[in-house]
Amino acid sequence: MERQNTEKRRLYLAFAITASVLVLAAAVSVCVGKYPISPGEILAILTGGEVEGNTGKVFYTLRLSRTAMAALSGMGLGLAGSVYQSVFKNPLASPDIVGISSGANLGAAVAIAAVGSAVTSVAVGAFLGGLVAVVLVVLVVQATGSPSTSTYVLSGIIISSVAQAVIMLLKYFADSESQLAAMEYWTMGSLAAVTASKVLSVLPFWLVGFVGLLLLRRQIQLLSLSEEECRALGVRLRQVRWTVLGLSTLLVSSVICVTGLISFAGLIAPHIAALMIRRRDGYAMVLSALVGGAVLLIADILARSLHSAELPISILTTLIGVPILVWFMYARKERRV
Amino acid sequence: MRPLLQVEHLSGGYGRREVVHDVSLTVAAGELCALLGLNGCGKTTLIKAVCGLLPAVRGACLVDGQDTTRLNEKKRAALLSYIPQRLSIITGRSVLDVVLMGFNPRLGLLESPGERHRQEAVAALEKLGLAHRAGADFATLSEGQKQLVILARAMVQNAPVMLMDEPDSALDFVNRGMVLGKVRQLLREQGRAGLISLHDPNFAMRFCDRLLLMKDGAVCGQVVLAKATPQEVEEALSALYGPVRILRHPGGLVMVEA
Repeated sequence: MERQNTEKRRLYLAFAITASVLVLAAAVSVCVGKYPISPGEILAILTGGEVEGNTGKVFYTLRLSRTAMAALSGMGLGLAGSVYQSVFKNPLASPDIVGISSGANLGAAVAIAAVGSAVTSVAVGAFLGGLVAVVLVVLVVQATGSPSTSTYVLSGIIISSVAQAVIMLLKYFADSESQLAAMEYWTMGSLAAVTASKVLSVLPFWLVGFVGLLLLRRQIQLLSLSEEECRALGVRLRQVRWTVLGLSTLLVSSVICVTGLISFAGLIAPHIAALMIRRRDGYAMVLSALVGGAVLLIADILARSLHSAELPISILTTLIGVPILVWFMYARKERRV
Repeated sequence: MRPLLQVEHLSGGYGRREVVHDVSLTVAAGELCALLGLNGCGKTTLIKAVCGLLPAVRGACLVDGQDTTRLNEKKRAALLSYIPQRLSIITGRSVLDVVLMGFNPRLGLLESPGERHRQEAVAALEKLGLAHRAGADFATLSEGQKQLVILARAMVQNAPVMLMDEPDSALDFVNRGMVLGKVRQLLREQGRAGLISLHDPNFAMRFCDRLLLMKDGAVCGQVVLAKATPQEVEEALSALYGPVRILRHPGGLVMVEA
C-alpha cells in the first residue's frame, strides 16, 4: 500500500511539474522575440485595454499562433513517438520509422522545386508527401503478405531510401541560390513562418490524430505485446494497427508540414516520460505528449532569442533533449528518480 | 462429460508447409488434457491452429457449438484464452495492469476497465496468492510469478477453453509443480476445458487427466490416466519416446528410461 502511494505521488508530481513547465514556457513564449511584449501588455491586450502601436497585432497574429503551434507540435510528436515505440516494440522507433519524415521531406522538396518556396505550397506538399509515403509502406507490407512489425520497419526503410534518392536528385538539379537553401532549411525545422491561418488549417487533422490515439490508448498498449499474445487477447490486429498508423500519420504530418522536420523530440519525450514515472502505460503516453510540448516550447523560445537571426529548431530540440535524457538515465542508475 | 472444445479434422501450417494433419480431439469441461510429443511434432502448431494464430487452417474447431476458425480475434478471444510458450517482454506495467489486459475481449474498443474489473482482477490474483504484488512492476517478478500473472490474465478473459503452450518451459522444478497445480485447480473449480502442451511426461501424468500423444503432426494415441494400467501407459509412451518404463509410486506414475 505504502508503495502504491509513493507511485501515485510520483505520478501526480510528474504531471504537475511537466504541466507547469509547459504553461510557464508558453507564457514566456508569447513574451519573447524580436518584438518583446511585457506580461503587463499581454494582460492589457487580453482584457481589451489600450496598448501602443503594433503590439496587439504582433501578439495575436504572430506570437500566439507561434506558441500554439510549438505546443501542438511538441505534444503531437511526443504522443506519436510514444505510440510508435509501443507499436513497434522498439525504444528507438519514432514516426520516421514508417517513412513519414522522408515522404514529407520529398513532398516539400518537390513543392520548392516546382512551385517555389511559398510556404503554403511547401506545407501542402509535405503533408501529402508524408501520407503518400505511409500508404506506399502499407502497400509494400501488403505485397509481402507478412504483416509483422519487422516488415513494416523494412518497408519504411525502403520507401525512405527511395524518397532520399529522389531528394538528392532534386537537390542536385536545384538552383543553389534559392531552391537548395530552402530545401536544406526545411529539414532543420522552424516555427518562424507560422501564422494563425496555418495553425487553424492543420488543427482539425491534429485533433483527429491526437484525440484518436488517446482514445485508443488501451489497444496501443496491447500492441506492445507479441503479435500472437495480442491477437489471442482479442485485439483485431490488422484493423487496430492500421487505424493507429493512420491516426499517427495524420498527427505527425499535420505538425511537420508547417514546421519542417523536427529531430529528436518524438524520440526522447517518451523516454523522459517513462523515466519520470517508471511506467510505459497510458499515463506515460499522455505525459510524453506534455514533455514533448514543453521541450518544443523551450526550444522555440531559445531559437528566437539566442541569436540575432533565428536558429533552426532541430538544433535546439537536440541540444535540450539530450542533457535531460542523460540526466534521467544517470538518475535512474542512482535510483534517485 | 460434455465436450467444451471439439477439434474436427484440423490441418494447418505455415505458408504451404502443412505441419498438423487432420487432427480431431475433444476436451471436456473441467478436464486438463496434455499434448505430448517430441520437438517438432507439431504441438505448438496445433495449439496455434486452434487459437486461430495460423494464417490458413482447414477443418473446424468448435467451442460451445461455434466454429472459432471463422471468428475474428475479438470474438474468438471470448471463447479461447492462450498462454504462450514465451511471454512478451512487458516493462513499465504493473501486475494489475497486465491482468487487466485480459478484459480486452469483454470491453468495447475504446472502453477502459473500471472498478468492477479491477476488483475481479485482484480476486484472480488473490486466488493465485499474488494479490500483494498487484501494484508491483511486472518486470520485477520471478518467472514463476510472471506465469501466474499471465494465468490470472487468462482467467479474467473468462473464456471456456484455455490453451497453453508449454507454459512451464522457463520454470524450475518447484515452480513448475506450483503453476501446473494451480492450472488444474482453476480448471476444475471453474469448469473450463484445458489443452496444454508439455515436454515432461512426468508432469503431464501428475497434473493432467488425459494424455494426447502427437507424432509427425498427428495425434497417434491417447491415455486416460484414471483408467489406464501402468502397462498401457508404458506401451503408449514407449511409442513416443522409445523404450521407457513406468513406475508406480504413492504420488502416481513416473516415467524412467528403460
